[in-house]
Amino acid sequence: MRVLAARVVIVVALLVVWELAARAWNPLLAVPPSVVPPALIDLLMLRSYPDLPRHLLVTVREIAVAYVLAVAAGLGCGFALGLYRTLGRVYAPILAALYAVPAVVWYPSLMLFFGLDSASKIAFGFLLGFFPITLAVLAGIRQVSGGLLTVARAFGAGPVTTFRLVMVPSMLFTLVGGLRAGLALTVIGVIVGEVLGSKAGVGALINHAYGLLRTTDYVALVLVTLALVVTSDALASVVERRARRWAE
Amino acid sequence: MTVPSSTLILVEDVSKRYLTSSGPVSALDDVSLRVDAGEFCTLIGPSGCGKSTLLGMIGGLVTPDRGRILIDDRPVSGPDPRRVAPVFQDAGLFPWRTTVENVEFGLELQGVSRERRRQVATELLGPLGLSAFAAKYPRELSGGMRQRVAIGRALALDTKILLMDEPFGALDEQTRVLMGEWLLDIWRRTRKTVIFVTHSLHEALALSTRVVVMTARPGRIKSILPLSLPYPREMESPELVTLRAKLWGEIREESLRAMGEQARTAS
Amino acid sequence: MPSPAWSSAGRGGGRNDGAARAQRRLVKRARIVGLQLVSILVALVAWEVAARGGWVDPLFVPAPSAVVAAFGRIGAAALRALGDTLVKAGIAYGIAVVLGVGAGLALGSARRLRDVLNPFVIGVYGIPKILVLPWIVLLLGFGAAPAIVYGTIQAFFPILLIVMGSVRDVDATLLTVARSYGARPWQLYWKVILPAIVPAVLAGMRLGIVFCLLGVLIVEMFAGVRGMGYVMGSLANGFRAAELFAVTGLVSAASIAIVLTLDVLNDRLAHWRG
Repeated sequence: MRVLAARVVIVVALLVVWELAARAWNPLLAVPPSVVPPALIDLLMLRSYPDLPRHLLVTVREIAVAYVLAVAAGLGCGFALGLYRTLGRVYAPILAALYAVPAVVWYPSLMLFFGLDSASKIAFGFLLGFFPITLAVLAGIRQVSGGLLTVARAFGAGPVTTFRLVMVPSMLFTLVGGLRAGLALTVIGVIVGEVLGSKAGVGALINHAYGLLRTTDYVALVLVTLALVVTSDALASVVERRARRWAE
Repeated sequence: MTVPSSTLILVEDVSKRYLTSSGPVSALDDVSLRVDAGEFCTLIGPSGCGKSTLLGMIGGLVTPDRGRILIDDRPVSGPDPRRVAPVFQDAGLFPWRTTVENVEFGLELQGVSRERRRQVATELLGPLGLSAFAAKYPRELSGGMRQRVAIGRALALDTKILLMDEPFGALDEQTRVLMGEWLLDIWRRTRKTVIFVTHSLHEALALSTRVVVMTARPGRIKSILPLSLPYPREMESPELVTLRAKLWGEIREESLRAMGEQARTAS
Repeated sequence: MPSPAWSSAGRGGGRNDGAARAQRRLVKRARIVGLQLVSILVALVAWEVAARGGWVDPLFVPAPSAVVAAFGRIGAAALRALGDTLVKAGIAYGIAVVLGVGAGLALGSARRLRDVLNPFVIGVYGIPKILVLPWIVLLLGFGAAPAIVYGTIQAFFPILLIVMGSVRDVDATLLTVARSYGARPWQLYWKVILPAIVPAVLAGMRLGIVFCLLGVLIVEMFAGVRGMGYVMGSLANGFRAAELFAVTGLVSAASIAIVLTLDVLNDRLAHWRG
């Protein structure tokens, strides 16, 4: 209980200090907390940005497409590299090296190729989500116990059966974790792409508000986007828990 | 109250209770013990009998709820590396230190100069059998070697008292026996007072001058078996065979009781 | 007194065995590297052929030869821009490491503080930092400041979390041992906790540099007037694909080189880990 009280005190203190400091210095730029709720209501009532739903839909669609692609490619690559040892030993290091490059480096090329439309955001989201999924598959395969595989072989299980009955359950935990991380990164990738330059999507709205110095609307948009991010992660964690239960 | 002058460690009516999730558990109940200088005193008993707790109290890491412990007539109020040096079952070597750096750890804490502590540590490596491994890291050493380094670290402090909590517990049987012989050799040369916790009857009988048998929880002293046989001990001799049977009889009773309690709390 | 008879037996086998094994390992590695180089070469050749043959639009996907030529043209300017970016990233990195390690140590060792602040840390960490970028630019304007601040923020959290976790995970036995040898609190820190967390700190630092670079590049793309991110953005807007590819390659190579250096440093400093 003391812990909870301490947290509440911290939050309240921060809000109060921010409110006073923002008002004293520059309410437009510093955005005191008190202006946020009305701005949020304005946004949700579609007064500040009437076509918010359309943009939200664009963003959600981009995330969905990018994620499906990332999962497909990630699982494919991951299993190919993980199950065929030579392939893995040759190409996994190249993948790891690419992982050392900040992903945003690819974005200008994507923009040049795909333009400012959804395609570049989908491509970027795909790139960001692809890596953690592939790496999770590789890690998951690596940690399948050799002992269990030997047992399967001793009982005469063929490769497909072994895969289904031994490998998949053993690596499910790691795999689902990777899928969840992949979703989080895909979401971030799409939003980054939109903020850096796009015609539609919540990121574009944020950019728009920023450009016009509509700071209160900007904060409201950020909160809505945060809600989107949190929702997607919550969905992912529900699926994760469901998958865990099914595995046991 | 006068105490015989050769008494080094005095444990007086010591009790300790722990609060666990299933309620308070009495680890030690009114334990009293007197250890003279130069003894090799072994504490033996079933799991949970409080022998490690008692050792922890003598080493100043655990505070008794009741009673007190005196070393050299001074009450124990915390770790005292000038008088007491510990060895744990998990060797507890620092993985980022080489063998010689691990051995000199205690001296380093006490502010001994680098040359001096390096000299002491290096000299110790000979009897430890680790001279060739002075610059190796713990991950490059076997379990037995690591334990030797841990013992060396304790010996480097040159304290009167050595506390050893199942130091060979993680080693295989053959290594245990050989390490026991080696430890005996060190003890006889350095004349330290050793308090040794073990599960092993063999170790208790081969090494000790006195064996203290503890009861199942709550831990009390069940009996004390003095062993004045010469070293190295003839484990097959008739006296030792009889002693072993006697010791086992005492311990077996307590072990059964401890197992019974485990079964009861598990169900 | 002579040393115990078994004292000379240790880990590892005879000498010949070790040398033969090392040689086999070298051959294996050479083969793998060879295959990697061949793959890259084949990919480059295929790319060149496809571009020359008109299968891909050279406006969007220039041939490797065109990319190399472009690099020759803008190489100097690109390196200057890269330097600009790296300086900003370096400053941000320094700040992030100091703050991240410091905060990680503080939160990792103070249980009460950690219990209270943990949800805040995790919560703030979960916010996509891009969302606060426009606000930072509004506050700090264009130039180096927002890039440095944003780079710091990006790197700070991973470092903090890694260091915090590592302090918490220090082997309790080691702390007990040190205490029983009479270590006082500051000695516990200096002689046990700090050496024990070195591998984790290095891992965090390795992760941090990528995030730092990422942050600086993003700001430069969003609202920069100098630096690699800005250059890349302009090239993309100007449809100068060959130059863009060249510059992308440059930044990637630089990033990989930096991370590899840190990896080597990592191995050197934490070799006791094994």
